[in-house]
Amino acid sequence: MKKIIGIVVAVIVVVALGFAGWLYLGRDPMSFAGGSTVALADYHGADVTGVPAQLASADLVKRGEYLTHAADCQACHTAPGGAPFAGGFAFNMPFGTIYSTNITPDKQTGIGKYTDTQFLAAVHKGIRADGAKLYPAMPYSSYTYMTDADALAIKAYLFTLAPVNAPARQNQLSWPFSQRSLLALWNVMFNPDERFRPNTSESPQWNRGAYLAEAMGHCGDCHTPRNLAFALDNHGKFAGTLTAGWRAYNITGDNVSGLGDWSDEDLTSYLSTGHANGHGGAAGPMGEAADDSLSYLVPDDTRALATYLRSIPAHASDLPRTVTTAAPASYREGVAADANSRGEKIFAGACASCHDWTGVSPVTGFATLTGVRAVNDPSATNVAQTVINGVNRKTTDGRIFMPAFGAGYSDDDIAAVANYVTARFGAKGADLTGKDVSALRQQAAQQSKEAPNG
Amino acid sequence: MLTLTINGQSRDVDVPEDMPLLWVLRDHLSLVGTKYGCGIAQCGVCTVHVAGKPVRSCQLTVGDVGTRAIVTIEGIGSTPNGAKVQKAWMEAAVPQCGYCQAGQIMSATALLDANPQPDDADIDAAMAGNLCRCGTYIRIRRAIKNAAAKSA
Ligand code: FES
Ligand code: FES
Repeated sequence: MKKIIGIVVAVIVVVALGFAGWLYLGRDPMSFAGGSTVALADYHGADVTGVPAQLASADLVKRGEYLTHAADCQACHTAPGGAPFAGGFAFNMPFGTIYSTNITPDKQTGIGKYTDTQFLAAVHKGIRADGAKLYPAMPYSSYTYMTDADALAIKAYLFTLAPVNAPARQNQLSWPFSQRSLLALWNVMFNPDERFRPNTSESPQWNRGAYLAEAMGHCGDCHTPRNLAFALDNHGKFAGTLTAGWRAYNITGDNVSGLGDWSDEDLTSYLSTGHANGHGGAAGPMGEAADDSLSYLVPDDTRALATYLRSIPAHASDLPRTVTTAAPASYREGVAADANSRGEKIFAGACASCHDWTGVSPVTGFATLTGVRAVNDPSATNVAQTVINGVNRKTTDGRIFMPAFGAGYSDDDIAAVANYVTARFGAKGADLTGKDVSALRQQAAQQSKEAPNG
Repeated sequence: MLTLTINGQSRDVDVPEDMPLLWVLRDHLSLVGTKYGCGIAQCGVCTVHVAGKPVRSCQLTVGDVGTRAIVTIEGIGSTPNGAKVQKAWMEAAVPQCGYCQAGQIMSATALLDANPQPDDADIDAAMAGNLCRCGTYIRIRRAIKNAAAKSA
């Protein structure tokens, strides 16, 4: 008997250790590349951290501004309609709500009293000035790869902002997630706490792209699935997942579900403007990433990022190939001809004038639905979110606007039109219900109270 | 400087490329038959034809028009279907206050251009995006059918 118990315990321990090991192995975002890495100081290629050559002689604050954009601090540290960098943005998680904090240099409520050492501890280790641990909603396990010099340039820039008095909002987390001390274990497991190590088997351009994607832009924080402990699971690196009620798509090289069939030009266009002809545009959180961060990168950096993305191993996910042919000109023809009359009625009244029955907009390429990943996603998550929240982006190519229909249309209406749109213009129609739409409304971090119009 | 083709005429305008076509028509070319309603493609009063298609001019930036021909309510009467629609409109005394009617006529004409004999469902699909606060929908439907009958 004792022997059997002993064996069972041993098996459990081995399985648990194996599982922990598996989780641990998913931690390194750049291990897929193989090859050998060296400490930055021992790397003799081109400079792959810091600002691009154009800005090399700019002052510290200017450099910090570029890097603050590259790290996209603003998107999460700004509440909808609130002062930039003053925090208060809500992350709605399955176990409660976490609010971002004020990173303006206000001495009472912001980071005005942070020393350089304290700032580095927050960015690299997720430790606040008062010693408390930050939740990993702050992507310090990505920022940990940032060099000290770059983090301190960001600090220098942040310290030039006008201080805003904005006390932190109280997180609402259920037990045991409310216990910050438990994060010590999480950090041991999932925060590598090491600076970027260039890969000598890859080109300087690849290394620059890796630094921008991992240490700065933290793409994986939305595009990489998370494990049970809510840490990034790089076994499925960049294969896409649901983040804050929106689907962050598969950005691996998979030909069907990923970016395999995007040309280099498509990729750099999307990265620099948040739009690529034939693939559609970014909305929701990716729209913000494009507007607040990616669009500020100089062309060389955009290309480096594209080079790095191209090297990510293909990882098939559950998305079908996008349909690239337009729907018929008449509403009577096509896949959704009589599948969903409520959706069709709403489309006729609210959507057809811009998107056309073909899906190819006569108004602007930004409104073309043909070939768009969201429309070819049978969950229709991002279609529904876009209908609810609209799109209101300012890009160098002009304003991209779609009204927010969330306040004017019921959950059932939005489900019906999302199902219709995915069936008519995409690979496979969704079967969203009003309940699903109601849940999507809850999950989205950004709840705009008023529909922006005009 | 941009050159637009409007109602068969070439017009030069000195405006930013991202200005909506509706602003250009009304404020720079004094073509005020086209109306402004919602500004977000949800009411249809600003409808004009661009390369023969009905388009909400409040959403179309003038820079995106390119060389495509524009027809507005001021020019629609010179097209065969436009003339028929206008006549049918008068016979049925469609307008109430009239505000939406330029857009209604533009959408109705585009419908007949694409489909000379529309049934009720076709009319719904083509006209659903044109709102009328006065509720002239029944007369609009009748006038479209009368105009179509004249085409036959
Ligand atoms: S003003 Fe253009 S559709 Fe309402
Ligand atoms: S006639 Fe008054 S709005 Fe249509």
